Amino acid sequence: MDSCPECARKLAEARGRIALLSLAAPEQNPPTVVKQRLLEKVRAEKSSTIAPARVRETRPPARWWNTIWAPAALALAFATVFLWISDRGLDQQLQQIRQTTQTYQEQTQHAQALVNVLAAQDTVTVKLDATPAMPKAWGYVKYNPRMGMMCYTADLPEPPPDKVYQMWAVPVTGNPVSAGVFMPAAAHNGQMPVAKVPTGMDCKWFCVTVEPKGGKSAPTGPKVLVGTL
Amino acid sequence: MSRAQRAEQQNDSDWSLLERVVQKDESALAALYDRYSGLVFAEATRILRDSGAAEEVLQDLFYQVWRTAEKFDPARGSLPGWLLVAARNRSISRLRRRSSRDDDELTENSVVLPCSLETTAAQNQLLGRVKTILSGMPDGQREAIELAYFEGMTHSEIAEHLATPLGTVKTRIRSAVEILKQALA
Repeated sequence: MDSCPECARKLAEARGRIALLSLAAPEQNPPTVVKQRLLEKVRAEKSSTIAPARVRETRPPARWWNTIWAPAALALAFATVFLWISDRGLDQQLQQIRQTTQTYQEQTQHAQALVNVLAAQDTVTVKLDATPAMPKAWGYVKYNPRMGMMCYTADLPEPPPDKVYQMWAVPVTGNPVSAGVFMPAAAHNGQMPVAKVPTGMDCKWFCVTVEPKGGKSAPTGPKVLVGTL
Repeated sequence: MSRAQRAEQQNDSDWSLLERVVQKDESALAALYDRYSGLVFAEATRILRDSGAAEEVLQDLFYQVWRTAEKFDPARGSLPGWLLVAARNRSISRLRRRSSRDDDELTENSVVLPCSLETTAAQNQLLGRVKTILSGMPDGQREAIELAYFEGMTHSEIAEHLATPLGTVKTRIRSAVEILKQALA
């Protein structure tokens, strides 16, 4: 019939004429309940098909990865806090390591300077003698005028409160040059103070005085040890 | 629904109502039902001789219109023609306990009616014409064509039922169809 539209039309018309025979059936009207049942069925179908469509319109279907956003965000927040705390701890450790390293570097430089002074052939040793102020005290100085370095040690009692000992290098001409303040405990612990003084200074004497904490730019206190080069 | 709306729907063409049914307008389906349910129910009841079964055929048929209205092509036929043919086929299948392929009927069975049935007046007019045509037929001829249409009998079954030669039955039916064609032209 698809290949012959005219045939299809004639067949449809023949069907129509035959179908009109149904009008010969005794007239009958269906009970109203049939229409009610039909419309109820139609409404039920509408509500079951339209409701999900509304849901789809207003709310797109959830993607599977949506379910992991919240936990992932929470985990990220925890990780951020953890890393921040960890970073602070690492910063503190790094600071401590830097301080320790600086201390080691200072000790190394001090030891190197001490070795250099002690090992140099032109280093001279000056014995420090006690004065009447502290008759039992003693000490000595290792001095290298070429290097402008000196180191020293002294056996002294504890200084009075708020006082320290201060080493001086005294040239033939000019003012005494401070070679640093020290406490006897350092000497007792085997530590040997190292000081830098002007290179080529024509140094003649060394002395130790008692000075206020922090030291002075020129000797003011009593001499407790004196040595002559 | 107001009286004005009901009157307006009564004036709507089958095609405009079907378009609204496609848009899932149940009032349009109700209007089509009001327009054609009497014809369909009378036919199904005549074939099945069981008003309960006829109600089921009627309801199923209009529910199929609701579900598959978009398949209906007005260029290939009229809705009442399709309803009458589908109601007959389903009723006879039910009568003979045969299965029917409901979903395909809308597209497969094109039916063109020689006149409109969209108004009650047109239906009444055509109903009168058909009854007049049939009443004008000889008893044997009318009986043969009614057995073929309403009982779904084959020519051989009609011949056996009427104790009439097969050739006579074929001639009577062919002649009845020709009378219908001439009368409704």
